Amino acid sequence: MRHSNDSAGRGRAALLALLALIAAVAIAACGDDDSVGGGSDSGTQVAKSGPVKGEITISNWPAYMDTGKDNTVAEFEDETGVKVDYVEDVNDNAEFFGKLRPQLEQGESGGRSIFVVTDWMAKQMFDLGYLQEIDHDDLQTVFANIRPDLESPAFDPERKFSVPWQSGLTGMMVNEKLAPDVKSVNDLFDPKYKGKVTMLSEMRDTVPLVMKADGVDPTEASKQDWLDAIDKLRDAAESGQIRRFTGNDYNQDMTNENVVAAIGWSGDTSIIENPDVKWRMPTEGCILWSDNMVIPKGAPNTPAALGWMDFVYEPKVQADIAAYVQYVTPVDGVAEILPKLADNQLIFPDAQFTESCSTQPDPPGSKEDQQEVTEAFQDMITGQG
Amino acid sequence: MSTLRRRLVPYGLLGPGAIWLLLFFAVPMYFMGEMALRSGSLDTGGFTFTWEWQNFSDALSGSNEQLVRSFVYAGLATFFALLIAYPLAYAIALRAGRWKLLLLFAVVAPFFTTYLIRTIAWKTILADASPAVDVLQFLHLVPQDGRVLATGGAVVAGLTYNFLPFMILPIYASLERMDVRLIESAKDLYASSTQAFLRVTLPISAPGIVAGVLLTFIPAVGDYVNALLLGGTGQSMVGNVIQSLYLQQRDYPEASALSFVMMLAILAVVVVYLRFAGTGAFMGDEEEAK
Repeated sequence: MRHSNDSAGRGRAALLALLALIAAVAIAACGDDDSVGGGSDSGTQVAKSGPVKGEITISNWPAYMDTGKDNTVAEFEDETGVKVDYVEDVNDNAEFFGKLRPQLEQGESGGRSIFVVTDWMAKQMFDLGYLQEIDHDDLQTVFANIRPDLESPAFDPERKFSVPWQSGLTGMMVNEKLAPDVKSVNDLFDPKYKGKVTMLSEMRDTVPLVMKADGVDPTEASKQDWLDAIDKLRDAAESGQIRRFTGNDYNQDMTNENVVAAIGWSGDTSIIENPDVKWRMPTEGCILWSDNMVIPKGAPNTPAALGWMDFVYEPKVQADIAAYVQYVTPVDGVAEILPKLADNQLIFPDAQFTESCSTQPDPPGSKEDQQEVTEAFQDMITGQG
Repeated sequence: MSTLRRRLVPYGLLGPGAIWLLLFFAVPMYFMGEMALRSGSLDTGGFTFTWEWQNFSDALSGSNEQLVRSFVYAGLATFFALLIAYPLAYAIALRAGRWKLLLLFAVVAPFFTTYLIRTIAWKTILADASPAVDVLQFLHLVPQDGRVLATGGAVVAGLTYNFLPFMILPIYASLERMDVRLIESAKDLYASSTQAFLRVTLPISAPGIVAGVLLTFIPAVGDYVNALLLGGTGQSMVGNVIQSLYLQQRDYPEASALSFVMMLAILAVVVVYLRFAGTGAFMGDEEEAK
């Protein structure tokens, strides 16, 4: 305060007081609730149906539909006059949920009418009261055409809040030239491939496969089985056997041949630009899952959202999606439209092909037990003590 | 009237910045501090305020390895950035002549692409079978069966590259306004080129170096993108832990506590650094810098 005189000093004090007042008001206005989180429990809510028109926003995973010219969205827009904002902003279930949770908590969906999330995430969102229920009468096409084995999954036996977008298999992505002998998930721990192996950062894909390889049925596994598998992963991460834990970006490492074998998703061979890389069913079997369309509470224009669900369950429309994404299609009657792909077990698997596979499991036990397993897995990925 | 106005002008000038700082720094800091002292979990009734100081010790004990690693990586990146930036800034400011503008543009040009894309590009540059890695292997800087991507080296390289312009520009600015006749005078007084550099040029550019080091080091400590994309299983930095705590585990209290720990640690390092370098140098006081 070298140059200040008394009155300037008073002015400064007044300004500080004013700022303190603004701060106090702002703080009081923003937060006087005692707890943060815990879910909104405003009861069940059924998605309203009605004429399909207006605008909707759909959140999906990247490359989960052809977004080029004359794509499925354009067809839907032509047929119904609905304007669709199709956003590819789901990269990771937990991360997407983590980002959106504060809004969902307030009964808001961030303007989205539909998200696409994996089974367990859909269930978690529903249990927290963030999703609307759907009336099967509003989804005639969906329930006329859905594959019978997807009609009543364990996480949502009556399909009360979820409609499958695509299903898939988690197994191994193998460069058949550089790692021809990788047949089981246990071969990924072979020192021969040290630093040339990646696994998925989705816990429910990676850990169950590791348990299966060690002869543990992941759907019956105890908490200790999960923690043991995570310990096995930790050893392999610390020794440098596992190069990285990745989301979708393992595709780039496979294409560049930085990685010769990985835990990977069945549809991704269509994205990996390396002819030697093939998806392989582990000898001990795979993990089966679906990504589901769900309607969050606070979703604008639910009639159009229901209209979209019905639209993509028309076999002709679904055929385009299946041919593009190469995942397991949830719609019956598509194989007939795509005779060239009808033998592709990764799009139209028969019961024999997936015989030894398990449905994607949740860690067992209470919320606290599940949280403990999740923490152990995430700490293993970041290398925390 | 005019004296009143003169008295009000400083507040008018300070106002927007002060309000900005209050709304987007002080208020969020308050909420972060409050969150850091909560306990509970999202799945079982949410977080309640309980003066849970244990969050801080948990954050510290759980992630001290990542904290130390963050400071080591950021320190190395700052060191290499200084090593690259100083000669470059010197050349642009004093030797570039009519190319000056073009070279400055080249320094800033990478910013026309997003941070993420630039970092992903490094994945291709440093891929295991890339020419860059072949050269490094030929020079025996990388073992024959070794790799660069998914190692600490790649993370430090990424950090250095991404923050380099923040080092170059302040150093350039301080050298650019230097009066070159000072160097001539030094030589007239029988200083060798080295002596002239050490006793004239370097002290004059000290404020630029101090500013550049701070602008590089501070964001580099908290960065998580480089470790995520270029690192492997053993390269997580504190930013990655905070991200995992916040988005994957949804443990907001511990994430907030760890953010505080990181901020305090950075603050401590910066205070020590400024004591050593002299605050005058940072404020542009060339007398003190000498």
